[in-house]
Amino acid sequence: MAEKSQKKSPLSDVKGHIGALSTGFKYLIDPHRITLDYPAEVMELPSNYRGFFRLIDEKCIGCSLCEIVCPSNAIVMTQLPVAQPAQDATRPPPKFKKRPLVDWGMCIFCYFCVDVCPTEAFEPSQVHDISYFKESDYRPTFDAFLKLPESPFKGSKKVVPKVDEKKGIRYEEKVNKN
Amino acid sequence: MMDFLNLIPVTWLPLLESVFYALVFPGFIAILLLAFFIIWFERKAAARVQMRYGPLWVSKRTGGIAQLLADMIRFSFQEFIVPEGADLIPFVFLPGFLLAFSVLPTLFIPIGPYYSHIFPAGYTLLLSVAFTLVIPVYLVVLGWAADNKFSFIGALREAYLLISYEVPFILAIASAFLLYGTLNLVEVVTIQERSLPGIILNPVAALVFLIAVIRATGRVPYDIVEADSELVFGPYVEYSSLMFGFVMGVPYIELYSYSLLFSVLFLGGWAPITGVGFLGGLIIPGIVTFVKAVIVMCALVFLRGVYPRYKLDKAVRAGWSWVFYLALIALLLSAFMSRVL
Amino acid sequence: MTQEIKTIPFTYEALSQLKMSEGVLELQIGPAHAGSGHMRIVAWVEGDTVVKVDPDIGFVHRGVEKLSEDRIYIKAIPMVERPSLVDTVNANLGYVMALERLLGIEPPPRAQYIRVITAEISRIMSHLYGIAIYGIFMGSSTVFMWAMADREPFIDLLQELTGARITYSHIIPGGVRWDLPKDFAENAEIALKYLENRTKDYEKVWINNPVVVARSMGVGKLSAEGAIRLGVVGPNLRASGVKYDIRKEEPYAAYEEFDFEVPTFKEGDSYSRLLQRVEEIKQSIHIIRQALKRLPDGKIIYEDYYKRMSPLMKKIYDEKGRVKFTLMLTSLSPPKGEAVSRVEGGRGEMFYYLVSDGGKAPYRFRVVTPSFRNLPFFTHVMPGHKLADIPVIYGSIDYFPPEADR
Repeated sequence: MAEKSQKKSPLSDVKGHIGALSTGFKYLIDPHRITLDYPAEVMELPSNYRGFFRLIDEKCIGCSLCEIVCPSNAIVMTQLPVAQPAQDATRPPPKFKKRPLVDWGMCIFCYFCVDVCPTEAFEPSQVHDISYFKESDYRPTFDAFLKLPESPFKGSKKVVPKVDEKKGIRYEEKVNKN
Repeated sequence: MMDFLNLIPVTWLPLLESVFYALVFPGFIAILLLAFFIIWFERKAAARVQMRYGPLWVSKRTGGIAQLLADMIRFSFQEFIVPEGADLIPFVFLPGFLLAFSVLPTLFIPIGPYYSHIFPAGYTLLLSVAFTLVIPVYLVVLGWAADNKFSFIGALREAYLLISYEVPFILAIASAFLLYGTLNLVEVVTIQERSLPGIILNPVAALVFLIAVIRATGRVPYDIVEADSELVFGPYVEYSSLMFGFVMGVPYIELYSYSLLFSVLFLGGWAPITGVGFLGGLIIPGIVTFVKAVIVMCALVFLRGVYPRYKLDKAVRAGWSWVFYLALIALLLSAFMSRVL
Repeated sequence: MTQEIKTIPFTYEALSQLKMSEGVLELQIGPAHAGSGHMRIVAWVEGDTVVKVDPDIGFVHRGVEKLSEDRIYIKAIPMVERPSLVDTVNANLGYVMALERLLGIEPPPRAQYIRVITAEISRIMSHLYGIAIYGIFMGSSTVFMWAMADREPFIDLLQELTGARITYSHIIPGGVRWDLPKDFAENAEIALKYLENRTKDYEKVWINNPVVVARSMGVGKLSAEGAIRLGVVGPNLRASGVKYDIRKEEPYAAYEEFDFEVPTFKEGDSYSRLLQRVEEIKQSIHIIRQALKRLPDGKIIYEDYYKRMSPLMKKIYDEKGRVKFTLMLTSLSPPKGEAVSRVEGGRGEMFYYLVSDGGKAPYRFRVVTPSFRNLPFFTHVMPGHKLADIPVIYGSIDYFPPEADR
């Protein structure tokens, strides 16, 4: 496919200028704004968004597959004391259990660990914009890891992005039915 | 109010009026307030074309108009750094000269028929143009004073562009002079009140004037000297703190002077309104001229949202080819129209 | 070759003679510069003409190849995506294809179609990013904002599918991880129509803009023989007149079932590189529409891997369309051998070479990215142009420093 031929200089230049200016003017009068007034308005993310997750203690069996598969080595299996030993008379009760602990500073939210867990012991959420003041807060304690994180923008207006033919993305306000 | 005015000795009045002219109305304070507005408008206009909001957070209810004030407060807390190899006196004092010379042309542009009582209006066209032509020389010295290769290249570019675009500018002014037959700007507006605005009498000269103004103040597409992706900010790159605010604001002040001249020469100045006295002869027609100048400025800064930047050698070549030819055509058109007028 | 490119060689004598000659200014367009990206461009300028350019790369080298020698095969998937940050699916696809050739498995047809759809969406996003960078280097922030905003509907589409905005890690050996949601086809059609409408606005404001034409026509010309000799890849090669596209030469992942053209342009200057990217976006839209219409049913993961899933995993797959990893994926040890895969990414050809010695981690993993192959533009095409042409040529070849440095 050959390139466009050399233009006839003054006329197509003038047409080009007028076209550019008129399009710019059209957008000046009627802008299609696509940005959000964050954090007063917050996007409501789809239900499979990969955000922070928590551990369900009863389902975890301590198999360490999540530690093996994590690409950034963010999960470390720690030995924790067992609060209530199992009631099995044929073998001595276990004193320790192995549970994963995540370093949120290293996690890349690829969800390999969530997908490899054979008992579905990780419960995902859509919260992703949490930040901490101290560096040690990036490594939560086991009790903090058992709870789902809270979104820091509870009071903001929630909008749902929808693909639109004229504007690209249009934001609809999410109405809470309850 | 009238009692207070009666208290002032009559001989002081001309002095006070000229001080008012220079410092308050089309002078210093109006310029400062206008700089706030036009910088905000440029960012907002560009943002509307670019599908976003522009400055909004600083004062949400008024659309972010206090953004420049917030920036100035932030600049005043920064440290003013002078580079080690820089030439101290030009580096520190030239921005002040730039500011002074960019405000000076407004003194010589009448905004109402009462102007002739304040200053002699005989050669105002020549004087205002002469003062606008001094500024680029200071810019070249500024580029040398900072000890930086990018500033140096920026200064060289300014020198090239200065030579190639001032010639069409002077030709456009000469064609306006030829059209009206007088250097007295008050008479120019009187002629336009009688017939038609200058932009209809000689549109080619208006176009050439506007192109030269875009080049002289560094608006996109001619911001070749500054804010390049090749030279980080050209001659102004080494400035920090309040001086940075200064040198960023000076092109807008130059733009204001040029726009005021444009609105008097080509848009009819204070055309539908006329009057006598200080209030009716200066303030009220002055507001009309001022609004016309602001509209021209808004149109010129809107170009930031549409065009990229020209290349130096293409711009210089254009200045000597088609812009020059347009200026010559403007001269011929003026010669023809002056017989009709 | 028709156009003989004379360059100053990188010898000590030539460089010191250059440094001591009068009238030559050495400019460091360094990392802290508005027009340089994550690299340093050392340019020697005589007057306004560039005499020699030395790209100084390596600022964002992360050692992807060496790091992967210590980790199991599946851990390299997110690592390989991150250098070429706007074109992640093609990078992911290339690595997984090499791995699948080592393992000797083939994904099912539905997985191949889903791979093609996500790869073409990723190509559209990469070309829009290239147009945006070209605009901002020329000084127009309008086109930058518009092109970045036009990526948003596509990011939103893939966010519904995978759950992340850019780094999806969607493709694994054996298939893909998530199945298409129910309203994907209609949302994709809306997004594609939006992009076609916007093309008219782009033509008026950018492509037919006289300033853009004046600035980029005739700049950075590279003939067809010059392009072949320098070894450049991707849209830069096709804009110089060489009709070479790996999707047609060595088809992979169901590309032979679609019919699309490979556009080329005759002159090889910056303006034709810009037009080339716009034409390729149109071809990608065509491919996505065909793929969505003829999407086959079936599984999205290799049959053998599906059989090894536990009942809980099969239940989750049937209900939600999400593939759980079996134990096998964490302990992949392909037999001894080597495999090569080439993928046509948005910027050019991506080349992967994997050598396995039977262990859990690769013995050697070699990646060659398209931006690294496009480096000769700096040393061989830029000299002779003006100083203001450096950002124009840089932006038009769509050079991305993290991708070149890996």
